Order: sequence, then C-alpha cells, then structure tokens
Amino acid sequence: MTAAPFRIGVDIGGTFTDFVMLDTRDGSLRNGKVLTTPHAPEQAVLAGIRQLLDAHGVAPAAVAHVIHGTTLVANALIERRGVPTGLITTAGFRDIVEIGTELRHDTYDLFMRVPPPLVPRSRRVEVAERILPDGSIRTPLDEPAARDAVRALAADGVQAVAVCLLHAFRNPVHERRLAQIIAEEAPGLTLCLSSDVVPEIGEYERASTTICNAYVLPVFQTYLTRLGDGLRGLGLSGPLYLMLSDGGTVGEATAARHPIRLVQSGPAGGVRATALYGVGAGAPDILCFDMGGTTAKACLIEGGEPLRSLDFEVARVDRFRKGSGLPLKVPVIEMIEIGAGGGSIAQVDRLGLIQVGPESASSDPGPACYGLGGTRPTVTDADLILGYLGAGSFLGGDMRLDVAAAEAAVREHLAEPLGLSVVDAAWALHETVNGNMAQAAAIHATEKARRIESFTMIPIGGAGPVHAAQVCRKLGIPRLIAPAGAGVASAFGFLASPISFAFVRGWVAPLATLDFDALCAMVAGLEADGLRLLAEADVGPGAATRTVIGALRYAGQGFQVETEIPAAILSAGDRDALRAAFETRYQQQYGRTEPGLPVECVSWQVILSGPVPALSLRAPEAAVGSVDSRSRRAWFPEAGGFVDTPVIDRTTLRPGDRITGPALVEERESTLVLPPGTEAVCDAGLNLVVTLEG
Amino acid sequence: MSDFSALRLGSAWRRIAGLMDEAAQDFVRTSFSSVVRDNWDLAIGLMDSAGRQFAQSSRSVPSFVGTMPVTLGHMLARIPRESLRPGDVLISNDGYLGTGHLNDITTIRPIFRDGRIAAWIGGTFHSTDIGGAPSVEARDSWEEGLTIPIARILKGGVENEDVIAFLEANLRQPDETLGDIRALFAVYEQAEARLFRIVTEEGIGDLDALAAEIFSRSERSMRQAITAVPDGEVFDQVTADGFEHPVTIRLRLAVKGDALTLDFTGTDPQIARPVNSPLNFSRAYSHYAVKCAFDPETPNNDGCFRPISLIAPEGSIVNPRRPAPVWGRHLTGHYLPILVLAALGKLIPDRVIAECGSPLWNCYFTGEHADGRRYVRMFFMNGGHGALPMRDGPACLSFPSNVATQPVEQFENAVPMLITEKSLIPDSGGAGRMRGGLSQRLSFEATGPNPVTVTYRHERVQHPPRGLLGGLAGTGGRDLVNGAKVPAKARITLAPGDRITFETPGGGGMGPPAERDPAALARDLAEGYVTEAGAKAYRA
Repeated sequence: MTAAPFRIGVDIGGTFTDFVMLDTRDGSLRNGKVLTTPHAPEQAVLAGIRQLLDAHGVAPAAVAHVIHGTTLVANALIERRGVPTGLITTAGFRDIVEIGTELRHDTYDLFMRVPPPLVPRSRRVEVAERILPDGSIRTPLDEPAARDAVRALAADGVQAVAVCLLHAFRNPVHERRLAQIIAEEAPGLTLCLSSDVVPEIGEYERASTTICNAYVLPVFQTYLTRLGDGLRGLGLSGPLYLMLSDGGTVGEATAARHPIRLVQSGPAGGVRATALYGVGAGAPDILCFDMGGTTAKACLIEGGEPLRSLDFEVARVDRFRKGSGLPLKVPVIEMIEIGAGGGSIAQVDRLGLIQVGPESASSDPGPACYGLGGTRPTVTDADLILGYLGAGSFLGGDMRLDVAAAEAAVREHLAEPLGLSVVDAAWALHETVNGNMAQAAAIHATEKARRIESFTMIPIGGAGPVHAAQVCRKLGIPRLIAPAGAGVASAFGFLASPISFAFVRGWVAPLATLDFDALCAMVAGLEADGLRLLAEADVGPGAATRTVIGALRYAGQGFQVETEIPAAILSAGDRDALRAAFETRYQQQYGRTEPGLPVECVSWQVILSGPVPALSLRAPEAAVGSVDSRSRRAWFPEAGGFVDTPVIDRTTLRPGDRITGPALVEERESTLVLPPGTEAVCDAGLNLVVTLEG
Repeated sequence: MSDFSALRLGSAWRRIAGLMDEAAQDFVRTSFSSVVRDNWDLAIGLMDSAGRQFAQSSRSVPSFVGTMPVTLGHMLARIPRESLRPGDVLISNDGYLGTGHLNDITTIRPIFRDGRIAAWIGGTFHSTDIGGAPSVEARDSWEEGLTIPIARILKGGVENEDVIAFLEANLRQPDETLGDIRALFAVYEQAEARLFRIVTEEGIGDLDALAAEIFSRSERSMRQAITAVPDGEVFDQVTADGFEHPVTIRLRLAVKGDALTLDFTGTDPQIARPVNSPLNFSRAYSHYAVKCAFDPETPNNDGCFRPISLIAPEGSIVNPRRPAPVWGRHLTGHYLPILVLAALGKLIPDRVIAECGSPLWNCYFTGEHADGRRYVRMFFMNGGHGALPMRDGPACLSFPSNVATQPVEQFENAVPMLITEKSLIPDSGGAGRMRGGLSQRLSFEATGPNPVTVTYRHERVQHPPRGLLGGLAGTGGRDLVNGAKVPAKARITLAPGDRITFETPGGGGMGPPAERDPAALARDLAEGYVTEAGAKAYRA
C-alpha cells in the first residue's frame, strides 16, 4: 500500500469533471476541476489527472487506482447515440416494448408523449419457441428460423442484438442456444441475453433493460478502452474501477459487460459521500438534498445505507414525470428528482401565482445575474436579490453577479404582474421553490413509510446550502449538517464505495412450497460468480460479505417488499422465520400484516461486497486569521426584512466555532444561509452542524 | 375582498394540494386491496364548510372528478350538519348519489375548528367486491350488490357496530373492504392534524376565505380559456354498440363568451342493462374532457367547473332514474369525453384528439387450478389512441380511464392459461394526415385441465372509433374463440385447449389521409404499421 498510497476519484458531470485525490497515509485530500469534453470525455479525465499529479508532485506509480463515475451511459440513452440494435423475441411478442404499460403518465395532457422504442419494429424479429412459467419447454426453438432471423438482422446493419424470450429468467436454455446461433451466423455482433442482463420476471422491463444494455455497450466499451489506454499512457498501471448506480464499484471488465448498471453512476457517488459525512458526524439517518443548476434530488439514507430500488427510468420524454421514460430493472440508489435548481425559471401562471421550473436557464444563457443574456428570473437571481449570494463572492469571486439584471428580471416578470415589490417577489420565488422541494421530499418519505422529521438533512450541490435551512423548517427537520467541500461530493463519494455487485434472479414460488435446496444452490452459484468478480478487483474471498435480499409479497399483490434475509434462514429452510422477516419489513412499510394470507417470493438479489474503504480524513488546515468582519444586507422576514448579516469565510472556521443566525457562511462553490433561529457549530471534521429552533 | 397575496396563496394552496397527495399516498400504503394499491382507483378531497371541493389528490382516475361534493350534499340532506360531532364519519356507496356504481365507497368526515365545522375531508375508493351478483344480466340496481345507505359509520370516533355488522354480513371479502374503510379513518386523522399545522404556519384565519380565493382564481382561469375560443354552437353524436340495440348519445356544445354549455338533450333513454351512467359519473367525465382541452394544469376544484352548464335529460342513458342498473357505467360514461372532444374539434381542431379505442376493454377469468384452488383474475387491455393534431396516435394507450396492463409473465404465473400473442394489429389505426394509434391482439389459451370461464363486455365492435376532420375511423374490435367470432358481451366457458382472442379497437385518424406526409407513410410501411392493402386508404 505504501508503494502506491494515492487513490483518485473522478466524476464526469455535464459541465465539469471533478477530481478528488486521497493520500491514504495521512487522509489528506486534494481536489481538481476541469471542463468536461462531451465528445471525448476521456480527454478531460486524462488532462485533469495529469494536472492533479503535476500540481502536487505525485508520481503516476504512486496511484493505487482510479475510481470513476460517468453520465456517459445515461447520456447515450437520452441522446440516442447508441448503435443500431435488433431484438429477438418469442413469436407473438415483438411489440411488447412498444405497447409498454398502456398507462398515461399524465392524465390531463391530451398530447402526452410516449418514448419511442430504441429498437424500431422492423428490427424486432420473432422466433417460434415457448418456455412455460415453470421453466419447462412447450415449443422447442425453431433453429432454422432463428438462423434466418439473425441473418436478416445482420443484413439490416445492426451492430448489437438483444434477446428477450418469455420466462427466460426461469430457464435460459433457448436464449443460450440463440447466443450460439448468433455467434455462428454473425460473429461480430454485440449480444445481450435478458437471462444474463436481468433475469427478473416482467417481460417489458426485462426486454427494455436488455435492449438498453446492448444499445450502449459498444459505445461504452470503446470509451473504456480509450480511457484505459490513456491512463496507462500516463503511467498509471493500477486498476480502473467504475461506480455503479447502487453505490457499489466494480472492475473495468465487469463494467464493460454491464454498462446499464452505470446509468445513475454520478449521483450515486454524491449519496455515498453524504452517507459518509453523516455517519462521520454521528447522524446515520440522512436526507441527502442535492440542489444543482437544473434539478434538486433527494434521497433517504437510513443507518448509513441509502434506500435501494430495482426500478429505474431513463430518457424520460417528460423529465420529471414518472412513467415517461424507458423502464430499467437495475439496482439503484432510490432518489427523487424535481425541476428546482439554481437556474430554474420563475413565471406567473394563469392563476396569478408564481411557478418555478421545470424550465431552466441552465448555464446558457444562465440566470439573468450571470449577465450572459438571460432575461428571465431564476432561483439564483432571487437568492442574489435577497442577499444570500454575494455579487462579488460567487465562485470565490471568479464570476461577478449582476444585481441590477436580476432585479430587472424579477421586476418585469414577477413583481409588476403581481403588484409586489422586487424583494417581496424574490422572496416569493425563493419560498415557492423551497415549498416545492419540501413537498416532494415529504411525499417521498410518506411513500417509503419514513418519518422525515427524524432525519438529518445534508445539503450538497451549489444551491443546496442556500436553501437547506428553509426546506428543513418546512419539513419539521430540526438539524442539518453542512459538510466542507460539498462541491466535489460525487468524486469524493467514489472513494468511499466498496467493490460490490448485485445479482438479480426472478424466482416466483409460494413460500409454502419454496424449494430451499434449489434456492441455496442458486445463491451459492451467484456467490461464486460474485467472488470471481471481486477477485478481478483484488478483493479476496475472506474480505467479501454476502447479502441476500428477497422480494416477497402476499400472494396476489402486484408489488413486492424487499427484505434482507439472514443466511441461516435459507440454509435451515425455515419457512416461519422467512415469513417473519418479510412481515417485519411489511409492518414497517404498511403498518400491519395479513396473518391469514399466503406469502410468495418473486425474486432474489445476492450482493457480494468488499470492505468499505476506511477513509480517515484529516481536516485541512484552517486558513490563517480569525472570523472576518464582512457583512451584507440579507432578507429575513422573521427579523423584519433586510438585516445587516455577518458573512463568514468558511475556510477560517475551526472546530468548536459557533455561529448564531442570521449569518452567511461562504465557500467557493456555495453559501450556507443561516436564518434567525438557527445555530451552527463547527465539529472536529469541519462540518457545520446546524440546529433549527422548533 | 381577500387578503391573500400571490405568495401566501401560492404557498398555502400548494401545501394543501400536496397534503391531498400525501393523504392519498398514505391510503395506498395502508390499503388492503390491490385495486387501490396498483390502480390508484381512489380520490381524497377537501371541501370548505359549505361542502365545495377546493383540493383533490392529483393522481386520481377521472371517474372521481368533482363527485364528492354532490355525495356530501346528499348526505347532509339526510343527516343534518347540526347533528354532527367531532370524530363522526359518514358513509355511502349509493351509485346514484356517488360515483355511479356500488363498488365505489365514499366516506366523509367533518373537520371541526373552534367548535364549528370548518371543512370536510373525504375519500372514495373502489371495492372489488360489493356483495350481490353484479353482471351483464342485471336488470335493476338491486341485483348489483349491497347499497350502503347514508349512515354514520363512525360516531365520535367510535365505530357504529350496526353498520359494520351489516357490511360484514353482505360482503364476500369484508376484511379487505373494511380494512380500506378503516385505513381511511386513520388517513383523515393524520391529514386533519397536518391541515391545522399548515393553516397555523401559513397564518390562514379562515379556510373558507382560502377556498373562496382558490375558487375565484380557478374559475377566472377557466373562463379566460373559454373566452379565447370563438363563440359557437356545434352538434355531434356518438353511437355505442349497446346490447339488443345501439345507443346514441347526442351533444349540443355551445361556447358563449366565458361560458360553456354541454347539452345531452336527445340522448337515447336508459336501458335495462348495467351500462347506464348516473349523472354524477356523466358529469365527471364531461368535466374531465373540458379540463383537458381548456385548462389541464389548474389543480381540480369546484371553481374550475363553474363556467360549465351541463344539461342531461332525466331518464336518458347519461342520467338514468332508479333502479336502472349501473354496474358497467363506464361503457357509456367513457364515450362522453370522446364526444365532448369531437364536438370541440369543430371549434378548436388543434386542441383535441380523434376518438380512442375505448371504453376500456377488460375481462375476468375464473376457474380452478389443477389442485382445486379457485382463481379470479382480471385483465385490462387498451385500444389505439386517437390521432393528435401534430402526431400520430400512440398505440395501445389508455384514455379516458387510466389503467395499466399487467406483465404476461406475472399473469401466466397466477393462472393456468397462456397468453400466446400480444401484438400490434397493422392497419388498425384510422388513416389520416395523422394516423390513429394501432390496437392490439391478445390471445389466451386454457392450458390447465379445467375449463375457464371468461366474462367480458366490449364496445366499439360495431361502431369503431371515428376519425376527426377528414380522418378515417380505426378498425372495430373483435372477440374470437378458436378463430370464430363470438358476441362482444358475454360469459363464455373455454374447454382445455380453447383459445380466446381479443382485438381491441384502433384509434381514429385526423385530417384527410391524402394529406399525409409521404415519408411518414413510407416509414409506416417499412415498420409494418400499415400494409400495402392499408396504404390504399391514403392513395385514394
């Protein structure tokens, strides 16, 4: 370890690529940031790493490994930049991916859009075969027809083929035979079987996931190859790890086979970082609140572990509307996203009320106060008018904000139409967006059966700390923790993530007749597969842990409850204990159990994880000098309006320092707003722990 | 009049609307029935002291748009408000007072503040079983199950044992239905506490004043939208397949200034089959269409619908008299939004859609597994969506109801049947400048050792979805057993090995087919949405 003491985390975001380098000898961190290079993202990664190494005089050989997260997979799906892909299905079912759920995602929009399938109908071919729900074969695979189908697809110019046959999650024999046939007939094609990608019940979601994986795989592999070559070119010989959507990381080879698992790679890093901050500060139940330029995300973390889900959606045609995208069955950290970021535009709607977002000024032209041509009022403009942001201290003073432009935008589009003063209109905008976020978080917590008041908020992202205290108030959350360096949280989070991979297997059976021997054999098989994957990433079997999660339900229900099942229950074949484990979780979620109803299992997840990297962080040296004496006017209605408010440079704070609101704590990427009635204490890790008065 | 600034009103309104969504989520989470949990067949609403609805959960099926205040009015006519005490909850499922059929149960609780009724909170949900023997054979509403007359199910927070005993004795699954009723009691408790917190934090002295402001802004918004449409009077009619004879629904739609009239005078009389649509249900679906076309974004409340006058002659199929049977009221009610939009299309062609392959198609399978266990399984399937002014209609998309299908693999794991085909039907979308959405063919084979009973009631077999503005009709639906046509409303027994096939109706086209972009037609041919034979409609 001493030979290569450095670990590097890299997060490619829409605008910036962020870097965090950890020196494992003393726990010190070094950050970097370069502009993202969208058409060849590896260029920014390589340039940034070289800069970071040069700036700190670190030899490439001293880097143990690079951990990487990227929006490349999600973007390729959103922008439809994958390869021409074909689909092979059971005869009679090629249109499943076009018919979808048949549900309207918007009840009142007559013109609502549905996402067009990635594979057009002419490239969806059927072969005669049929597997029954119990896995037995009703109709054997028509091999000559299959050969014709493959040749036709190849002739049509497809570069990738997804195969999704009915009940293949139960018996993959026909999919595997098709794989052989495809390899014989069209050896160069990328090939993904639904029974490999996501052997889970539900033909539409399984096909969609398999198609997405096939569609992006060649693009992603090309990228990984270039990146790997580039890193070796820099002299970095250690492995490259990639961040998955569920907060685990895997080696390069695994990622290359499962690109769809990276669909939410970047945000997962931010959540991981937040969990680490919270656990370190003694607050393991966390509401992670990530507010950036165009959106705000919220995620619940319980006992230091983010809530997980197997359902995700990508490439929504209506970004913030559930059901408007391509469904994916992949292990993800569960989060909600709403159109409420710093760049979200406010307007007066037809009811004479202020509406914020989802339209965003993004970074081009950006908020009016950026002076880049934006004329419509945004959340950032309001925050500037209210004095929460300093015109001269945004991005450490690198970007001067134009107060007059912000005021003009708010005046024209909000204040005058509503008959309000500019500052009242700005406050109304600020309150509206806070209300939207609080509402979304509250409904999410209700859906997950959690009491939001018992969570600690941790705000990250540029706009998170500005709005955090007011959102907490609306939610009745009494405490928030503002970590230092939240601006590069995702890249930092990668360093805190264990090597981990989750396998999913559909397995529909009544509990009463569940074959525990077969189940244990399945789990053991996946465990062996998982240990091989972990070994690829240098995690030995002794360091690995195995978690089994069962998706169970009362027979007849249309949804599952996911419950961790202790290994002993499975090996003992203890039906009562399995039922009890399910019902404990069910009770928590639904407030009751149904003693008379039979239970059935639907699917299983087996998660193999290496150890969570121990990050003993050393607090950076505080800057020389005491709390400075700057101040500016900031708007706090509870204190009567504009109040002369102290402005504190965050880098000057030391453990034990205490700040009473109203106050503004500035750092380069953000400002923590402390309204009257709040008190912040700087802890040993330089986090600001803020308590809000009841 | 009011002292609500845009800020205070916006904030309070949003929070109260959000409270309804939270309450609905709470209910879904604690519900016993899959129809509530999976299909969200429910609504939660908040009414002012006079019983006018000012907030409603947003993710509701259109059947419940604005029905609760009407039910409350009937309740208070029977049980005077002066007699109500904190902790009382009123109940009824009377289809003629509620949402049109007995399966929807409504409960409403007064919210007391400072010793008087300041507001009402209520919920409506669908109960899969409601006793009795609802079926296409029903000739009057008594055959359709248990009517719960207006009653206090909770008195001062204590359950009224007599009412509960009555329900228990008449329901097949009393645990499920009573479980949902009781879940709502807890939802109301919690929502009331949260409402008071919002009221305090937002500094709202008087909920009625808040409601009045919501009504007046929503009404103004709807009136502005109507004013923007040129005055005019148009007529249209749609014919449903019906039972022994077709049934025609006639509409006069008039826009005058800022008001809209929907007049169903001339519509055919009620029939002694369970497809009559009680006034409340007809109104909900008519209002839904107006909302979609004019002001889709304002959250539903009483004010939105004040500019609309609805005339529906008593004794007609859209406003039947007791005891006309109503169980399958959607077979009439689902035509109404489509008819309203078709009529509106003559005034604002760029804001409507062509007719969709609805009323919703569904079927029930009942029988025994090989081991003797009984099963009942419902299956929903949607037709093609009507063409839009700017795009082709989506294939197989629900409208006006909003009900999802279920995965084939889940179905086959639950029932001893196989689905042997679920595919789009080429040429089923009506030709037009914009093509109607394709419909689907679904085949079910009885693969177990026992027979399977299939019950279904399908429309749009003889009268396919019409095109609009020169667009052609979609294809009509078909029901087949082993390839031979069978009636569209029937109960059929499949022997092992038999196969029943449903072909849902295709969506109507919009605009003359000759005006279709040749590239779009070429793509349809290449993708197999249209065959060479079907392309003739465009080349005529």
